[in-house]
Amino acid sequence: MDYRDTPEEAAFRADARAWFAEHTSADWTHVEDEQEQTRLRRQWHQNLYKAGYAGMAWPTEYGGLGLNAVYSAILAEEAVSTQAPQLPPYIGYMGAAIQAYGTEAQKRHFLPTMLSGEIAWCQGFSEPEAGSDIASLRTRAVLEGDEWVVNGQKMWTSGAHEADWCFLLVRTEPDLPKHKGITCLLTEMDRPGIEVRKIYLSNGIPETSEVFFDNVRIPASQMLGQRGDGWPIAMTTVSFERGPIEVGAVQRYEIVLEKIEQAAAERGLLGDPRIRSELALAYARGQALRLASLEELSARVSGVAAGEAGSLCKLLWSESEQALQALSLDVLGVDAWTGKEAEKMAEYFSARAVSVYGGTAQIQKNIVAQRILGMPR
Amino acid sequence: VLAVYTDEQKMLDDAVRKFARDYGLNSPADLKVVDRAAGWKALSEMGIAGLRARESSGAPMASAVEIAIAVSALAERLVPLPLLGSALFPAELLALAQAPAERLSAVTEGRQSACILFDAELAEVADAGVQTAYSWDCQGAEFGLSITPSGSEYSVALHPITSTTDHKGADLTRAVSQVEVGAPVESYTLSAGNRERWLAFALTLLAADILGAMRGALNGAVEYSKVRIQYKVPIGSFQAVQHMCSEALVKITGTVGTVNYAAWCIDELSPAEALLAARTAKAYAVSVGRPVCETVMQVYGGLGQTWESIAHLYLRRVMVSTYLLGGLQSMLAGIADARLGVK
Repeated sequence: MDYRDTPEEAAFRADARAWFAEHTSADWTHVEDEQEQTRLRRQWHQNLYKAGYAGMAWPTEYGGLGLNAVYSAILAEEAVSTQAPQLPPYIGYMGAAIQAYGTEAQKRHFLPTMLSGEIAWCQGFSEPEAGSDIASLRTRAVLEGDEWVVNGQKMWTSGAHEADWCFLLVRTEPDLPKHKGITCLLTEMDRPGIEVRKIYLSNGIPETSEVFFDNVRIPASQMLGQRGDGWPIAMTTVSFERGPIEVGAVQRYEIVLEKIEQAAAERGLLGDPRIRSELALAYARGQALRLASLEELSARVSGVAAGEAGSLCKLLWSESEQALQALSLDVLGVDAWTGKEAEKMAEYFSARAVSVYGGTAQIQKNIVAQRILGMPR
Repeated sequence: VLAVYTDEQKMLDDAVRKFARDYGLNSPADLKVVDRAAGWKALSEMGIAGLRARESSGAPMASAVEIAIAVSALAERLVPLPLLGSALFPAELLALAQAPAERLSAVTEGRQSACILFDAELAEVADAGVQTAYSWDCQGAEFGLSITPSGSEYSVALHPITSTTDHKGADLTRAVSQVEVGAPVESYTLSAGNRERWLAFALTLLAADILGAMRGALNGAVEYSKVRIQYKVPIGSFQAVQHMCSEALVKITGTVGTVNYAAWCIDELSPAEALLAARTAKAYAVSVGRPVCETVMQVYGGLGQTWESIAHLYLRRVMVSTYLLGGLQSMLAGIADARLGVK
């Protein structure tokens, strides 16, 4: 057990902190224009890459730094502390899938530009009829000559409206059992027949999209892996999902708690024993999230196959985050309803989605019960 | 950062678990037959109580992380031996108060039984003016320890115990007794920092105890759910039952993190930081401990409501560890004072 940074980690953290302090623009969060936001995010991604802060755990042969996930976690912590935008999460898991299943040519072609931020990606997995049960997806692809012809609809395709390429799962063998008939295609988003519509979430922000495919023709050479490899590829991406520290959720929790404490102080609530207890409990829950995530991360870094332990951290995250945002509304009181603190209301609604995206809380509980506790199916 | 146990710590965990299989409880009926004297002797021989004896440099033989591992493993099997109350708590206090080596070794080697003197709420340590106090998790203790403020420091006093009346406490694995004590026969100075360190040590181990009890309780319920058949299938195949158990494991996972960190802090960080981490661990453990054990009783169904079931033993143990040295509100008040300032 050692909760301190190693000398190497401490040096890396200090460098990253200084870099973020110098390069993060303070007005990031206040840009209203969506196209300008997209441009700034891309620029930021490219700046991070040039500074050596992208692909901490990627192999060096594909432009990464060949370090471990602890460095990804440190980077996320420092980024969140300066309110800098995060790197898009797909870099880790789509990159891992292309590394595992891509031809050498595909790896050389896609990985460097994905990492550098030159090409932005989105993930076309979920569909209106395929949410938690992703293997029942229906978007069809039929091979005509040396092209796949794709028809169907994807949903919850985050970043689709600003993506250049899509990592797409399609059904190619409708007669095979559902897990066996799926294939993975990589496609440009500007091919004729692709239409993107934004989905506004309950927080009022167009965080995600639906994507329609109408006779979209994709060269057969843009298939990842073999025909029918779609399900194992999807599982590779899922198993690569990062823990709450690496996505910055732990650091964000601590910052939000500090803001709630400030709000309570401004409203003269720090003498209220109930509010004091609630704030202390929120701190304890945040620590449980931080420390359990740190153990899960440490186990992964030490080569102990984690996998399912990620579901436990995800559940700790969604529960603590949602309780924290409920406390925020409690402390803000009437200001939350009258629009004086509209941003805080949006944050509350954002937290409701945490127990849905990346696998719902119910799916996570199934995984914990069946794969960790070994309860019968 | 690397928050994983060392190989030595894993070996200790295995060894204590093995011991706990022999001296722990499989049902309440075992309370009558478990050989406590043999168990205590075996535990002393394993040297668990002596892990916090001090080397000549003043450093403890083992870190508090090891102690928390052992305490948790014993609680997992409801081992009814008074390790915390009659050995670890008083020994650590004597060590931090720099009591004579002979005093300390008598306790760590199991030659003399001591206890902490608690107030009637079991929430505070009594002061030197005490005449009637409560002892916890020790039977037949020869002396009790009080803590009294003395200027900017504290004084630890050693009182002879003149009579003991056992209470029928909720926890059937550890005793609560009312004790009459005499005037102090010895006293030692305890710095304010070391008083915080002792409190951090005690609170962390109570959280470790709750953690182990939750684990043991859930393990039993999960195994039961795999063999109990209703509607021709194991009840563990029902999603309602699976989700109850998953939620319990999430709560246990959160507790593991806070307990390990609090234990590490005791030997590595300042007293104030260690105390905040300890209160955090205990607050978290307490906030989930009873709900987890109640869930376990529910998974066992009707059987879980019977006296013969082991389920209520876990819940009883958790409840007493919950209130000892302060329950949830007391822990949260301490955290709030540390983070928000005293109001």
